[in-house]
Amino acid sequence: MLKIVNAFLVVAVLVSGYALYELEHATRGEERAIASGKRKIDETREAIKLLKAEWSSLTRPERIQKLAAQHLQLEPTRAQQFVNLEDLRTKVPETVPVKLEEDGKDPIGDILKKMQ
Amino acid sequence: MLRQTKITALDGPPRLAGQNRIRLLGLCFALGFAAIGGQLVRINVMKPADDLNAELAKHQDRIPRPDIVDRFGNVLATDIAVASLYADPRKIPDVDEAVEMLSAALPDVDAADLRRKLLKPRSAFAWIKRQVSPEERDAVYNLGIPGVAYVNERKRVYPQGRLAAHTVGYVDMDTKGIAGIEKYLDNAGAIYTASLADPQKQVAAPAELSLDLRVQHVMTDEIGKAIEKFKAIGGGGIILNIETGEIVSLVSLPDYNPNAEEKVFTRDQQNRMLSGVYELGSVIKAVTFAMAFDYGTINMNSKFDARYPLVIGNARINDFHAQRRVLTVPEVFTNSSNIGTAKMALETGLERHQEFLRKVGLLDKLETEVPETARPLLPKRWSRIVSATAAFGHGFAVQPLQGLSVVAGILNHGKLIPPTFIKRSKEEAEVLAQQIVKPSTSEKMRTLFRLNATEGSASKADVIGYRVGGKTGTAEKVVRGRYSKDHRLSSFIGAFPMDKPQYAILVMLDEPKALAETYGFATAGWNAVPTAGKIIERIAPMLGEEPQFTEADLEKLAKLEKLEKQKKP
Repeated sequence: MLKIVNAFLVVAVLVSGYALYELEHATRGEERAIASGKRKIDETREAIKLLKAEWSSLTRPERIQKLAAQHLQLEPTRAQQFVNLEDLRTKVPETVPVKLEEDGKDPIGDILKKMQ
Repeated sequence: MLRQTKITALDGPPRLAGQNRIRLLGLCFALGFAAIGGQLVRINVMKPADDLNAELAKHQDRIPRPDIVDRFGNVLATDIAVASLYADPRKIPDVDEAVEMLSAALPDVDAADLRRKLLKPRSAFAWIKRQVSPEERDAVYNLGIPGVAYVNERKRVYPQGRLAAHTVGYVDMDTKGIAGIEKYLDNAGAIYTASLADPQKQVAAPAELSLDLRVQHVMTDEIGKAIEKFKAIGGGGIILNIETGEIVSLVSLPDYNPNAEEKVFTRDQQNRMLSGVYELGSVIKAVTFAMAFDYGTINMNSKFDARYPLVIGNARINDFHAQRRVLTVPEVFTNSSNIGTAKMALETGLERHQEFLRKVGLLDKLETEVPETARPLLPKRWSRIVSATAAFGHGFAVQPLQGLSVVAGILNHGKLIPPTFIKRSKEEAEVLAQQIVKPSTSEKMRTLFRLNATEGSASKADVIGYRVGGKTGTAEKVVRGRYSKDHRLSSFIGAFPMDKPQYAILVMLDEPKALAETYGFATAGWNAVPTAGKIIERIAPMLGEEPQFTEADLEKLAKLEKLEKQKKP
């Protein structure tokens, strides 16, 4: 009787030992995955921060104003240029000021193409 | 074991002693195993959790420094991770080759200088380049030179540079705030900073300022141009949201670059709008008028005799644009009569004048989030002559922001709202509001402000369509203890649109000079006012103000259009 009990206990020890080892191993793997995931999150977060800072620096109003003055023929909007939606019909100019499609010209598109 | 028990059973007395010994031994083993088991459970079940917490605590011991953004989320200040490259010269096998490779990867590093550093005998450490970008770091790391490594550091950067530098402030080498909002985040606003941090994550929400960067840029641009044109020594301006007390823009020129390595700034670069106190001159007349209306001393039809200078003791008060006649209340305002305004204050009484100035906060230091604020300079004794001169803004000096905030309060149905640099809603502002004058007084003041822009000294700021109202002020500066006629401070305080004021504006120029173009005048109407006009024309559409035109406006516009057409061909 005791023999059987002992044999059973030995097998139990072996099995539980193996199970414990397996569990431990799996846990370590998960922990590594979590750590590397966290590191990736941190790295991505840093990269986002850096890109945001760069974006902010590139969209400085001062810089945009300079670029606009260089590349565009635009002026600040004047009060009298605002038109109510109701008055729109009476404000259509006789000659259309911009005829991009007709001339086949697209100045902004050209600038974009050049930048690419 | 079986056999042993059999033997002991046969032997009699010794059996008992042996059995007890075995039992004792068994108990010891059982205790030992229990201890080991307990330890196993503790290590496997409890310990990992402890480790995790410790790991988290390591990151949480310092609240991360929040970014600073404007009201639309544009980044004004942020932390970036930077690497600093260093070398251990003893470990570099071939210094010449290393220098060649490094200077190819880092074009702005001086090769000769680097070679000298690396060839220094018995040195174990040398910086190659501090605070490099991730690309540079990777480039150098990929060269694989033995003895070259990097450490990670954090660096505070201000991507907008000079723009809004006076508000944002800056930090020292240990990223501790030493000026502006940066200092507020560490000191007075520590609770606010903590409220931004999320304890679950290692990130903090950004500190949202009330500033609008577009408006800030327009102000900097136009005031900068004005300083150049009128050869002023400095200048500044503020845009205040009247209904919420939010400071949409605050400019002080000359400014500084917070990204500069050496943060040594001159007194000239200080924040004129908060750290400087100035005698604001005639713009303070608006406060005197509001007081006199509110105490019932005057009404719109009251008249003041401005034929002769006002003599108090041995002092004479005279008018700059002397009319030498009896003026009505609106005329006193539009002609900016010192005599009339002084009489108004004297009729209200010394006690009540002082009490009113205290109530609106002009006698106390105005505190905002930006810590660099100055205390007002006040007369030691309050006498008749002091009251008379204080009525037109002389003899006491305050922060320009204080003056603007009070005027904004007067125009905002008499509700004074403490100004702030942090984004605030209308509801929050409503709670902080303090009634300083009656709504009827506010109504009258709006009329006077608008009148002064249509036919008074502020007419050059009257941008057609935006119903601007305002008051000008030209104060003589005290130079070596005396008022100087050649050193002037010209200012304009206004608001728009006047039928329902939304934004208050202040423009100030320090020592503007007279030009041929201004017919030799250096008063506010010729420099600060047109500057304000240009600013309003550019920012009103940004701030979402809808232009409205009267018949007279349309006629004026038609005339202007004709003139332009004549000019063009």
